[in-house]
Amino acid sequence: MVPLLYFQLLGAALFGIGLYGALARRSAVLIILSIELMLNAVNINLIAAASYLNGIGRFAAFDGQIIAIFVITVAAAEVGLAFAIILRMYRNRGTINVDEINILKW
Amino acid sequence: MPLAFLIPVFSFAACPLIILFQRWLPLRGAPLAILAIAGGFVVWILATVGFLAASADHPACDVSPITHALTCHFTTTWFDAGVPSEIITDSIHLNWGMLIDPLTIVLLGLITFVALGVQLYSLEYMKGDPRFGWYYAWQALFVAAMLTLALADNFLLLYIAWELVGLCSYLLIGFWFENPGPREAAKKAFVVTRIGDVGLLVGILLLWVNVGSFSMTEAFAAAASGQLSDGVITASAILLLLGAMGKSAQFPFHVWLPDAMEGPTPVSALIHAATMVIAGVYLVARAYPIFAASPEALMVVASIGLVTALGAATIALVSTDLKRILAYSTVSHLGLMMLSLGALGWTAAVFHLMAHGFAKALLFLGAGSVMHGVGAHGDVDIRRVGGLRRAMPLTAAAFSIGALSLGGIPILSGFWSKDEILLAVSHNLPVIFIVLTMLTVFLSALYMARAMFVVFFGTQGEDSHHAHESPILMTGVLSILAVLAIGFGWIAFNWPGAFDGFGTFVFYDHAEGFHFNVVLGVLSILLAVGAFALAWLVYVRRTLSIQSWRARFAPVLRVVENRYYVDETYQWVIDRVVLTVSAALAFFDRAVVNDVGINGPADVVRKAGIALRLHVTGHVYTYALVVALGVIALAIFWWLRSV
Repeated sequence: MVPLLYFQLLGAALFGIGLYGALARRSAVLIILSIELMLNAVNINLIAAASYLNGIGRFAAFDGQIIAIFVITVAAAEVGLAFAIILRMYRNRGTINVDEINILKW
Repeated sequence: MPLAFLIPVFSFAACPLIILFQRWLPLRGAPLAILAIAGGFVVWILATVGFLAASADHPACDVSPITHALTCHFTTTWFDAGVPSEIITDSIHLNWGMLIDPLTIVLLGLITFVALGVQLYSLEYMKGDPRFGWYYAWQALFVAAMLTLALADNFLLLYIAWELVGLCSYLLIGFWFENPGPREAAKKAFVVTRIGDVGLLVGILLLWVNVGSFSMTEAFAAAASGQLSDGVITASAILLLLGAMGKSAQFPFHVWLPDAMEGPTPVSALIHAATMVIAGVYLVARAYPIFAASPEALMVVASIGLVTALGAATIALVSTDLKRILAYSTVSHLGLMMLSLGALGWTAAVFHLMAHGFAKALLFLGAGSVMHGVGAHGDVDIRRVGGLRRAMPLTAAAFSIGALSLGGIPILSGFWSKDEILLAVSHNLPVIFIVLTMLTVFLSALYMARAMFVVFFGTQGEDSHHAHESPILMTGVLSILAVLAIGFGWIAFNWPGAFDGFGTFVFYDHAEGFHFNVVLGVLSILLAVGAFALAWLVYVRRTLSIQSWRARFAPVLRVVENRYYVDETYQWVIDRVVLTVSAALAFFDRAVVNDVGINGPADVVRKAGIALRLHVTGHVYTYALVVALGVIALAIFWWLRSV
């Protein structure tokens, strides 16, 4: 059985890559992709923890998996919304480069 | 008599109706105003009949313990205000109320009658004016306010009416506001009377604090019973007098009245005879229990009256504008009324108020007829008209009657009222007063004679060739007023079996029979007749020349012709004192209040905001980075705590 720590390391690495991508990318699409990466890193963490901790203490069966399915659902909806916004952004301003989209200030 | 409140209410109702519906009403609603005041006049007659029939048995009437005259009091609660405090131990009860005593009755009669005459006359005089409807709306409001002032039983209602009168005088004097003259005159009238009004307001509040009520009867009872200290009585009397001086154009607040002739001439007639200026005399007469309790205040009233009467009479003598002569004559006669009040000649003052009211309405409407006749709108320079007697016989006769009456020629009403004043002054004041009053009487006859002879007699002036008599409506009103100017004085006598005389009806403290002092009477007849004869020799026969006199007294003449430089003094005070102080205050306001007090904190906040806003870049990844760093910091914090 693969140790829990390996899964956690994989999740942390994926999350770190996602966070870097979300902060460093200039393209809105790539930022969305990076956010998806972070969400999936969390999913890996959840499922790994669920299968290791199944039946131990207060944890009930499939708790982690259920939350993961929720996350996937929410992520799908969020992507739909986010791409609609990005599309409007492109239509309105001719770019999806977030460097040029800085009207959210004084 | 309880329906006497309808007298002003009719006219109050007419004002908004005319304003709203003038477009659809015949003659722009003028008949409405005339009907309203005519209705008021009818109600006045009914109320007078009721009052004469009433006695102390009437539930609302009583013989006042102060004036000893029958006084009827109708009142209804308006509202209660305020909570009891240490100063005012009871909440303030405000009433609508009427105080009907002989003074009110005669005053209401004068106001309704003259206003009715003026409004009828105005139908012709103001014909074709583009704001005909507005003219009648303001006329109605003016009369209504004045009637309320005469009826009011408490100082608050009186003050409201007082200010309404001031407002309407502003609107009517400035009626032809397209021209700068009326505009400035209206502002002047409003501001100058306002100076006095402040005194009136403070006086009313002083009485209210000390009496605990706005009610006149309570205030008078407190003054008469010695409940108020002498200082309070004198102070409130002087403050009330300030208000009266503003409205009644007493020195040094007289400057607005001569300018007020810039308004339409019927308005001048109304202001000078029946409304506005008599409000001040009425206030002093009404609040006489307060004045009577303070000899100092009475002395002030008499002195101011005398100074005003004499000063204005000299100015009237040298003025060349017909309406200006009449205006200064009003100022002078108001001064005589004040003098009479100050000399305990209460009945004489009210009597002269009435007699002067009819005569002055007649004179002003006559002057308006002259202006109508020679086609002048504005000034009538008496040096440019003359000999109008032939072209305008009715106007000439009416004007002459008014002039003779005011000049104090015997058997005309002005003679009797003036004689009563002389009597009161000679009885109750130092001898210098009667000497100067005699001089005033002489001057008063002289300037009236001058105006009358120059305009209507003598040689024809250059402006009078196309003169024509005025329409029947105008001359009709003049004729009725002329009858009154002749005969009104006769009600002073004791008519056996019919009427005991004015002094037994309108009196303060005790009924007075008709007095006639032979020495004073003969002296005043001599002075008046002498003045008219002198003027006749100078201006009609031209057998006497005044050129050498003019040359000899040139410096004095210059001072008088410049109206004693009172206007210039006002201007100097405004320029040098008021504006300087205002400039200093304005500087303080700008430099300290505005720059330091208001802009100071605002600047601090603004600069802080500019410094602090730099972190708001508007880039989404900056915010995300801060969120991520924050989460990491929280995680580290939490981890450190758990270890």
